[in-house]
Amino acid sequence: MISPQTSATSSEPAIRVAGLRKTFNVPVREPGLRAAVRSLVHRETREVRAVDDIGFEIGAGEVVGFLGPNGAGKTTTLKMLSGLLYPTSGQAFVLGHVPSKREAAFLRRITMVMGNRNQLQWDLPALDSYELIRAIYRLEPAAFRTTRDDFIELLDLADLVHKPVRNLSLGERMKVEIVGALLHRPQILFLDEPTIGLDVTMQKRIRSFIAEYNQRYGATVLLTSHYMADVQALCRRVVVIHHGKILYDGELAQLGARFNATKTIGVTLVDGEADLSAYGEVISVEDGRVTLRVSRAAAPEVAARLLRDLAVADLTIEDPPIEDVIERVFASGSEAP
Amino acid sequence: MAGREPLRPFVLAARFFRIGALNELQYRANFAIQVFQSAIALGTGLAVLALVFSQTTALNGWSEPELLVVMGVHILMGGLIGMVIQPNMVRLMEDIRRGSLDFVLTKPDDAQVLVSVRDIQVWQAVDGLTGAIVIVFAVAQLGGAVGLGQALLFGLAFVLGGLTIYCFWLILTVGAFWVVRIDQIVELFEGVYQSGRWPVTIYPGWLQVSLTFLVPIAFAVTVPAQALTGRLTLGTLALAAGFAIGLMAFTRWWWRFGLRRYSGASA
Repeated sequence: MISPQTSATSSEPAIRVAGLRKTFNVPVREPGLRAAVRSLVHRETREVRAVDDIGFEIGAGEVVGFLGPNGAGKTTTLKMLSGLLYPTSGQAFVLGHVPSKREAAFLRRITMVMGNRNQLQWDLPALDSYELIRAIYRLEPAAFRTTRDDFIELLDLADLVHKPVRNLSLGERMKVEIVGALLHRPQILFLDEPTIGLDVTMQKRIRSFIAEYNQRYGATVLLTSHYMADVQALCRRVVVIHHGKILYDGELAQLGARFNATKTIGVTLVDGEADLSAYGEVISVEDGRVTLRVSRAAAPEVAARLLRDLAVADLTIEDPPIEDVIERVFASGSEAP
Repeated sequence: MAGREPLRPFVLAARFFRIGALNELQYRANFAIQVFQSAIALGTGLAVLALVFSQTTALNGWSEPELLVVMGVHILMGGLIGMVIQPNMVRLMEDIRRGSLDFVLTKPDDAQVLVSVRDIQVWQAVDGLTGAIVIVFAVAQLGGAVGLGQALLFGLAFVLGGLTIYCFWLILTVGAFWVVRIDQIVELFEGVYQSGRWPVTIYPGWLQVSLTFLVPIAFAVTVPAQALTGRLTLGTLALAAGFAIGLMAFTRWWWRFGLRRYSGASA
């Protein structure tokens, strides 16, 4: 076991972003040959704001989910924070460094995992690639071996690291990739869709490994994922981004309260089904169980009335699934000008 | 950066060489194919040389064993290009096109060094070895008149030539940041490189200048060969050194300029 590493000083946030923007100039032209020829001479470009004036702070050791539909600006933001993209304007500080300077001292303390790309040598066992990573990060051999073996044990990789990477399944490959990305024990993890395309079991495995790493080393994690299960399992806080702007930044648990004004009440009556439309909007009636949608504020009162008026065998009050809430958040973002 | 640790590129290259060896040792057939290719190339070269010297005894002042030296240097440099320079540049082009350069840029090491040493084709060493044997054989035919001084001069000229060719390749490859498809430069270079089988001094003036400053084959092959055959003047060596240093400085700047384009810093 390795003792937890003290991360960035607690007073200074690990990541601080203010007024960050990134615009891309993309060529545009009408379809057809004539337009194609015209664009040879005069190329028209359109400015696309991938990230439009965003700001947030992330404390050391926090795990934050970055949510948004495709093209919302998540990856662009991650790339700016990891020093791959130069911001058009605004400020970003990561562990006190300006990422775009790409200083070695900064790069040594971060990592980037991209679910759809791999960095390990395709034809070789992962162990050989790990040695190369050791040389690049100049890791001390003994500490490197301890970390490596620890991770291998945690993810149950003992057999896999001896096989050429090309012979591994998608999920196995992601596991050995993640180990490779964390061997230098970074304090900041930028995880871009780390579980994309994996089956549920494998997603869980990766998730619990990330959680374990965060706990052990107090590392800060910024995660994007299409799988809400990832976000729910790992992140207390989420930042929702849409069209390059932040729509919500706060606790995941509060997201529902803010954007979703409804609850669902499930009722099973002792003497079978009944018409409950007087109590709320009936969503479904199935096997004697009626599901109602009511406003969040009215939920306790409606439940009390149901219990008082009818012979209830079972009653539940639930928040709608988080996917539905997120959809509402995005819908509200689209309505905004 | 690299300046503070001059040996770092070689340390990294050695690491990647090990990985390259591990990769290639899995495919012994590649070794056989490489030996076969090198043998064919050597045989063809020797046959052409024999054909030329069946008609004449000297070519523009170069005797047969002297031209054999040129051929040896050509094969040796070709081996170095095939082993280190070309595979790395082809990979860099691919990475720029697919966006997978990100992994290199997030490493705490000089990105230019990393992209220049990470892919090493081990079996190409066969070409290098063939070239070395041809050089030794040719020098022996010259009467063994090569002293230590000349050998050192050759070493220096060869390193300068190698660096010049590397810069030439990287300058073209960085073009991929703007023009996405430049794969053809590989074939183009291979074609032009064949002209280095002969000393560039036998070509007409405009071609000599092109093969010296445009595609620096003169510095890569002819100049080191001149060192071994007692033709190298201090002026030429100084020019080779100055050109190499200037080109390296420009390449460094150009690489950073390209990276700024990649990261959108120049936009």
